Amino acid sequence: MVFKREWKRAQKALWIWVLALGGMTFLIMSIYPQFAENKEQLQELMKLYPEAMLKAFNIDQLGFDSALGFYAIEGYLFVTLFGSIYAAMLAGGILVKEESDRTVEFLLSKPISRVQVVVQKAGAVALVLVVFNTVLSVINYLGFQVAGDDHIDMVTFILISLAPLLLHLTFAALAFGLSAFFRKQRLVTSISLAIVLFSYFVSIVASISDKLSKLKWITPFEYVNSAYIIEQASIKPVYLIIMIIIMVISVTAAIVKYMKKDLVI
Amino acid sequence: MHAIELNHLTKRYGNARGIEDVTFQVAKGEIFGFIGPNGAGKSTTIRTLLNFLYPTSGTAKILGKDVVTEAKNLRQHIGYLPSEVHYYDDMKVKELFRFSAGFYPGDSSKHALELAERLQLDTTRKIEDLSFGNKKKVGIIQALMHEPQILILDEPTAGLDPLMQSIFFELLKELQQKGTTIFFSSHYLSEVQKLCNRVAIIKDGRMIKIENMEDLHAKQFKKVHLHFHNKWDQKIRLEGVLQENKTVNSYEFIYNGHTRNLLDQLVTIPFDDVTIEEPSLEEIFMHYYEKEAGENDGL
Repeated sequence: MVFKREWKRAQKALWIWVLALGGMTFLIMSIYPQFAENKEQLQELMKLYPEAMLKAFNIDQLGFDSALGFYAIEGYLFVTLFGSIYAAMLAGGILVKEESDRTVEFLLSKPISRVQVVVQKAGAVALVLVVFNTVLSVINYLGFQVAGDDHIDMVTFILISLAPLLLHLTFAALAFGLSAFFRKQRLVTSISLAIVLFSYFVSIVASISDKLSKLKWITPFEYVNSAYIIEQASIKPVYLIIMIIIMVISVTAAIVKYMKKDLVI
Repeated sequence: MHAIELNHLTKRYGNARGIEDVTFQVAKGEIFGFIGPNGAGKSTTIRTLLNFLYPTSGTAKILGKDVVTEAKNLRQHIGYLPSEVHYYDDMKVKELFRFSAGFYPGDSSKHALELAERLQLDTTRKIEDLSFGNKKKVGIIQALMHEPQILILDEPTAGLDPLMQSIFFELLKELQQKGTTIFFSSHYLSEVQKLCNRVAIIKDGRMIKIENMEDLHAKQFKKVHLHFHNKWDQKIRLEGVLQENKTVNSYEFIYNGHTRNLLDQLVTIPFDDVTIEEPSLEEIFMHYYEKEAGENDGL
């Protein structure tokens, strides 16, 4: 019941985000042909940019000379950053809003255990994010077709589609786990957004400065670095494991905390 | 086996006042009133019974099952009306009933619609557009729709107009005849008096007394205010006066006893005006129960 309800409830926001992000990447990909025509000029132009900026956006490693590279620099940023914001907001609110809106007294007077509530809500978030990423990937694929002549390596494409999903799930799990410890939705939303933006900031800093490159370990954005995925055609296993551990720990923490929580209304 | 059983139940949390060492039993098929002033611990007790709150110490059982360890199974048999009703504002009334019905075996949404008709509630409206009284009706229906064995109602009549209140009381009486146990809280003694078999009285988180309604009926309370235009001799002595307050031209007291006796006595007094009203629960507490509780403690 809770799973079904949350799935239905999430629909509106889901499709608004799909439309916004899908539309954005589609637009970006549709201007790629013009970029490709003026490739040489562009490369000259890029030399004028400060090195730090090229590093920050992976332009140094990827370049604009393939559709995939172009997407990885331009579109990927939107999907990872804004998608993570969406994921964190969705997951951060789904549990705590019952307390914030004082509906928990209704829900938990029904024959459903607290664990079921947490698990079903987590499941709904996961399903929404899978659908979100699948639809976005389809739109991306169409975008690549529009972008033209390039042959796209399917393995790389699937990885570059899977990576944002993993990232979104990671941030969602963090926000979800966190939300079990609070009673007010607004507070959770703010903290979740701060985590996403801070992580993004750290990933930029880590890629610019060699001194601070160790910081890449603490930011999930680095775990799904598009340059690495495209060059190596793989997601680094250690990062994959870290993400899975974050998800497991966060959801477990949410369950344990929620089971013991006094629901003060 | 008792329908509801509290053993030394204690809940302390944060700065909010909890409950301290509350013990009582509710028999099956009984209508049990739970009264006390605001903030006395009524809602805390009820929320602990429903396992929204975990007890600090002591235990509570419903239908012989522990409210903490068997919370989920118990809820199948409990209908709960919170003191403040809050629902998902994106839902229509009938959508909420359908959602609610989904948690129980069988199709209880039909029964919900019957109840809605009886309480004159439009189920096609959005919940957020409903008035406070209508939201309360939604709450009542979703508590009753699955025909639970135990009904726990937290201040159910607040916000209902007198007509709805009497329909609601009728419903409760019918349910009692079918064997439903009803536990309900209120801060109006007079409201509880009409309906209950027994009442428990709680104040400052502690149980003060459990009364049989028959005993309580014998103890009728009236608040009497006599007004004198001129100075009066202030030497009147009446039987059954619990607490009095005399001024130059007025005499106010709480009376305990038969109302007819009160009237017989009043006839002899040369007052110019009189008002006789129901005392508030707080007044009875102050003048009667608190004193008695103190005596019981040997103070």
